[in-house]
Amino acid sequence: MEYIVQTNNLTKKFGKELVVNGISMQIPKGEVYGFLGPNGAGKSTTIRMMLGLMKPTSGNVEIFGKDLKNERINILKKVGSLVENPSYYPHLTANENLEAIRKIVGVPKARLEEVLRIVRLQDVANKKVKGFSLGMKQRLGIATSLLNNPELLILDEPTNGLDPSGIIEIRELIKNLSREYGMTILISSHLLAEIDQIATTVGIVNKGKMIFQDSIEKMRMLAQQQVILRVSQHKEAWRVLLANGIKTELAQGAIFLEDGSDHHVAEAVRLLVQQNISIYRVEDDRKSLEDIFLQMTKEEFVK
Amino acid sequence: MMLQLLQADLLKIKRKGMWFLAVLGPVGVVALQMVNYGVRKDYLLQQNNDYWGSYLLNTSAFTPLAIVLGIAILTSFIASIENETNAWKQLIALPISKMAVYLSKFIVLSFMLFVSSCLLMVFTLAFGLLLNFDQEIPFLMLLQYSFFPFLAALPVLALQLWVATVSKNQGIPITTGVLGVILAYSAFFLPDWMIWKWPTLVNEWDNPVINVWLGLSIGCLLYMMGMFDFTRRDVK
Amino acid sequence: MLALLHSEWFKLSKSKIIFLLFVGPLVGLFGGLAGNLLNVGEQMNQWYIPLLSMNLTYAILFLPLITGVLASIICRYEHQEGGWKQLLALPVTRGKVFLSKYILLVVLVLFIQILYLGAIYAVGIIKGYTDPFPLTIVWKSVVGGWIATMPLIALQLWLSILFKSFAAPFAVNVVFTLPALLVVNSERFGPFYPWAQPFSMMYIGGSTDDVFFVPYDQLLIVVGGSFLVFFLCGYIYFQRKQV
Repeated sequence: MEYIVQTNNLTKKFGKELVVNGISMQIPKGEVYGFLGPNGAGKSTTIRMMLGLMKPTSGNVEIFGKDLKNERINILKKVGSLVENPSYYPHLTANENLEAIRKIVGVPKARLEEVLRIVRLQDVANKKVKGFSLGMKQRLGIATSLLNNPELLILDEPTNGLDPSGIIEIRELIKNLSREYGMTILISSHLLAEIDQIATTVGIVNKGKMIFQDSIEKMRMLAQQQVILRVSQHKEAWRVLLANGIKTELAQGAIFLEDGSDHHVAEAVRLLVQQNISIYRVEDDRKSLEDIFLQMTKEEFVK
Repeated sequence: MMLQLLQADLLKIKRKGMWFLAVLGPVGVVALQMVNYGVRKDYLLQQNNDYWGSYLLNTSAFTPLAIVLGIAILTSFIASIENETNAWKQLIALPISKMAVYLSKFIVLSFMLFVSSCLLMVFTLAFGLLLNFDQEIPFLMLLQYSFFPFLAALPVLALQLWVATVSKNQGIPITTGVLGVILAYSAFFLPDWMIWKWPTLVNEWDNPVINVWLGLSIGCLLYMMGMFDFTRRDVK
Repeated sequence: MLALLHSEWFKLSKSKIIFLLFVGPLVGLFGGLAGNLLNVGEQMNQWYIPLLSMNLTYAILFLPLITGVLASIICRYEHQEGGWKQLLALPVTRGKVFLSKYILLVVLVLFIQILYLGAIYAVGIIKGYTDPFPLTIVWKSVVGGWIATMPLIALQLWLSILFKSFAAPFAVNVVFTLPALLVVNSERFGPFYPWAQPFSMMYIGGSTDDVFFVPYDQLLIVVGGSFLVFFLCGYIYFQRKQV
């Protein structure tokens, strides 16, 4: 498995505080990696260590198979990033802001217009950034991160401050970049619903530790999946199922099947039909990513 | 790469008023003499027969003060451009070495001071000619008084750049600048080894070139110290 | 109003920059100990030596510049992180906000002046002066200098509200302060230049029949006049400022 990013026991201590505690992150090539965690969990610090903005207390970072400490400049040539609030020069126009970065990464001038077009800022190219709205500044930050056609894109809260249509645009953009250009993308976000829609791999940190790292399907499977049956005589149905050894719960006027496997559902339906109970709905009680996330981080809390 | 960094830095100081200040410095220094000679020219001419010499001396009395304060202001400006939105984190995450970033800023500032020194020479000469001294123009002295203070002030530049880049609160470098100008003003009472005395081109051996050599060497040293400290710091 | 002052003081006390106030007396101390080339002769009080030698650097250079830094500091926390909108959206009038910041600055400068007094005393003790400490004269100097900075503080507060950076108001301050070094020598212009007033009012060589070292009408016209102009400019600007 080719890992674009691999951190080995990455640790960062600020004085006595252990902000990042032995994080071993693995981002496979071409994946959209959702980096999740409560506030203060150490996400931003980890990202800064990945970009060489901060030096780890121990552990190391490997990107594109190279050690960040030794080959930082080579690595960063193919990385684009947007960390926390977008940074810009308020007294310069959007074009000038991009130009200040372009000069350093060395891509052709035509790229400026390309990236502005990608984030739909081409009409305000010559307007000073200090007059931009929050969403426009965010989009400019994303445009800046795309300047050098990176193979790895690191986005910290990219949809911050965007309105719903803006959020959808960015979501489509990310999907596109991943699909068409094969970009590996790391997104750190609080908008779990967004991550749910675009991430293919997920890494969850809490209090500096990585508590889960796997594909998003596995994460969804982790949650207890229940199947809901909406029937005509629920009390009766409940008794019938229990009598036949099928674990169910009666709540909110519906039957909750604890085991949602196909075989069980089929069995339950057959039993109820045999008893002449009408079945109105068979639904998936899918836990949202939010619930799963809260569940996971709460468990750590309790521990 | 260095060239591109310099170009980027020159782009960033547009419309910040920094070039205006770089011009204002020499204008101000000569303007003070315009007032001085405008009000009491005869009295001043009576004092000394070497008209050009005393004119240059009068002008250069203010040069160290203007340079020390100008350095404090320009370095604070150039640091605050990046500090405003914490653009350091964007800049350092680019494929460039941190040392190059620091060096680029130092060079841009030195260049601006050099331009100021050139303008100082031009304006000093211009007004001096206007004063109609009818004496031979001491070009060597003019060059000396225009460029030596800049070279001798390089350690101050290195120090201020370092303080301005590592301080979150720009009040600290500005206050350092205030202390610096007070020391520069009291240069007469200062021991020869203090960096704020050097732009005045005064030392016990009466040889201003010594101050220039001191400025270049200690300037390099302080610059390296600042650069290495900058490199090893985390970007918050 | 009192609540506003409390809040302003609280904000300032939390910023570590408070030690800046002690830089003043240090400068004074340095000036007093280093500059002992003045020979005032047998008749004059020994204490006049530091008073005269410290005065120039302190009153012309240090005071105007450091009050500018203080003004920028007092406006810094509003400029950062979101700007003035949080403060001005509270149930307070803009005028009161401006006034409270101004009052706080004025009090701080008084504190610096008193520390300066302490520094002079310290210089004398260190040097072992035997003459009596000329309290009234020193007080006149200290209070006079304080009053003379009031118009300058008003201007600097205005500039610090206008400009977000530290460097810009400081640059303006410098442009007006440096010429004062020349202007104080001029008998014609010296009395009229606002940045020369702190020096004039702290200069103990002046006339001793007035309450302060400068004649009353100079005090009223130059100091009072410039104060009115600068304060009103800042006050009105702040009332109109778009946030």
